[in-house]
Amino acid sequence: MSLAPGRAAAAILGLTLALVPFAARAEVPVGVRVIKGSRHGPAQVDPRLSDLKRQLSPLAYVRWDQLSERKVVLVHGKTEFVELPGGDTVGVTLEEHRGNVVTLEVALTQRNTQSRVTVQKGQRIVHGVVPEKNGEAVFIVLTGWP
Amino acid sequence: MEADEELVSLAKAGDARAFRELVVRYQRKVYAVALGIVKDPDLAWDVAQEAFVRVHRRLDTFEGKAAFSTWLFRVATHLAIDAVRKERTSRRQDVDDTDEAAMAEGGEGILATALGNDPRENALRRELAGEIERALARLTPDHRAILVLREVEGLTYEELAERLEIPKGTVMSRLFHARKKMQAELRRYAGIAAPEGTEETS
Amino acid sequence: MKACARFRPMIGHRPGELPAGDARELADHLAGCEACRAFAADVEATTGLVAEALLARAAQRDFAPFVDQVMARVEAARAPGVLGWLSARRRALVGLLVPALAALALIVYVLQQDGGTGAALVQVTAEGEATTVIETPDGPIVLLAPEEST
Repeated sequence: MSLAPGRAAAAILGLTLALVPFAARAEVPVGVRVIKGSRHGPAQVDPRLSDLKRQLSPLAYVRWDQLSERKVVLVHGKTEFVELPGGDTVGVTLEEHRGNVVTLEVALTQRNTQSRVTVQKGQRIVHGVVPEKNGEAVFIVLTGWP
Repeated sequence: MEADEELVSLAKAGDARAFRELVVRYQRKVYAVALGIVKDPDLAWDVAQEAFVRVHRRLDTFEGKAAFSTWLFRVATHLAIDAVRKERTSRRQDVDDTDEAAMAEGGEGILATALGNDPRENALRRELAGEIERALARLTPDHRAILVLREVEGLTYEELAERLEIPKGTVMSRLFHARKKMQAELRRYAGIAAPEGTEETS
Repeated sequence: MKACARFRPMIGHRPGELPAGDARELADHLAGCEACRAFAADVEATTGLVAEALLARAAQRDFAPFVDQVMARVEAARAPGVLGWLSARRRALVGLLVPALAALALIVYVLQQDGGTGAALVQVTAEGEATTVIETPDGPIVLLAPEEST
């Protein structure tokens, strides 16, 4: 093969980049919301949660409030911790990321529960973090590329 | 447009569209009654929805002897009164005596004078409508309930007695006191709002 | 004055609500009592205001979501428990975990509606807990078992 050196270098570089798995560049912005569902009325949904109405509709909770919201940038392998009402924390870790699909691990520190969940861009993960008590339960909502 | 009875039959057989039609038909009026009794709009919304939920749950027991709407409003009334009772902190009893002291208040006739004869055209009447809610809110729950049911749902003395589970004589005296208090509140507003030396409008 | 105490509560009656004798006596009393006449005039002037005000409030409010919310509550009331109701539109079955023995981890695979097993989109490991997963087109819902009441 007789390529000019510059072009050869460019060709090699291109090939190398093509071989590097996407995941190594993994950095995904994730919206994190902590929300509370209640069986007790009045039946209303916090306006900030209107994008979740359809997804939440299978649940028995008639009232939804947003408790907190923040945006984080998840880096592969690094765990982001989110404070919950009641003092517990939930850890969110980026496990895998390929194009528009992301796999997150959601781990509750006080309960021995870890979930590995895969979603596409445009989908949201609603994960229980405080189980129902007195008709109220708390969830965390994770949105990739919010 | 289907009659209530037809929709109820269909709903009893499981037709969700028919039940939805009934909800839409009565939602605002049920809400209005609830609002008059509980005062708070969000609570009224909740009470109104719960009334429909309860009615749906017991559709199979509804035999059609009374009108559907009567049943619906009865459920809504009880829910609203219960909701208010739960929120009540003080337990003042209404003393609806009609004695001479209750008569001697004065000021009668001011409202009729200020409002004139044609209810539709009167600007003061429109303004007063805004004050009504404030005036209503100052009444006790029992007084609010009887006034709202009389006026919004249009119940007769007999129907009021049945709905509120009180004797017919109590209906009339309670209504009288409720009206009296309401008018006292409105009179204050009308007295301020009416210009000096209001002439009788004819 | 004593007569007024008897007659004033009758003011505002509708046809047929009073016994004929009472209605006649009321009319007679009003003919001779200015104060009661004035009270009757006020009642007449304010009749309907309460209904107007409350119905106007109801008219102002946006009732578009009302019937949907009622139907959602109807469904939720049907199936007590955390799940509420599952719409037929949902694409996947629910994987229900039974409480595991302490040391065991359970993994749930969520089936696609066509019966095939897609790549496990949701894996939950939970010790000693019942956990439910609902797969929706908008993304999964992972539910924790309710707390035991203390």
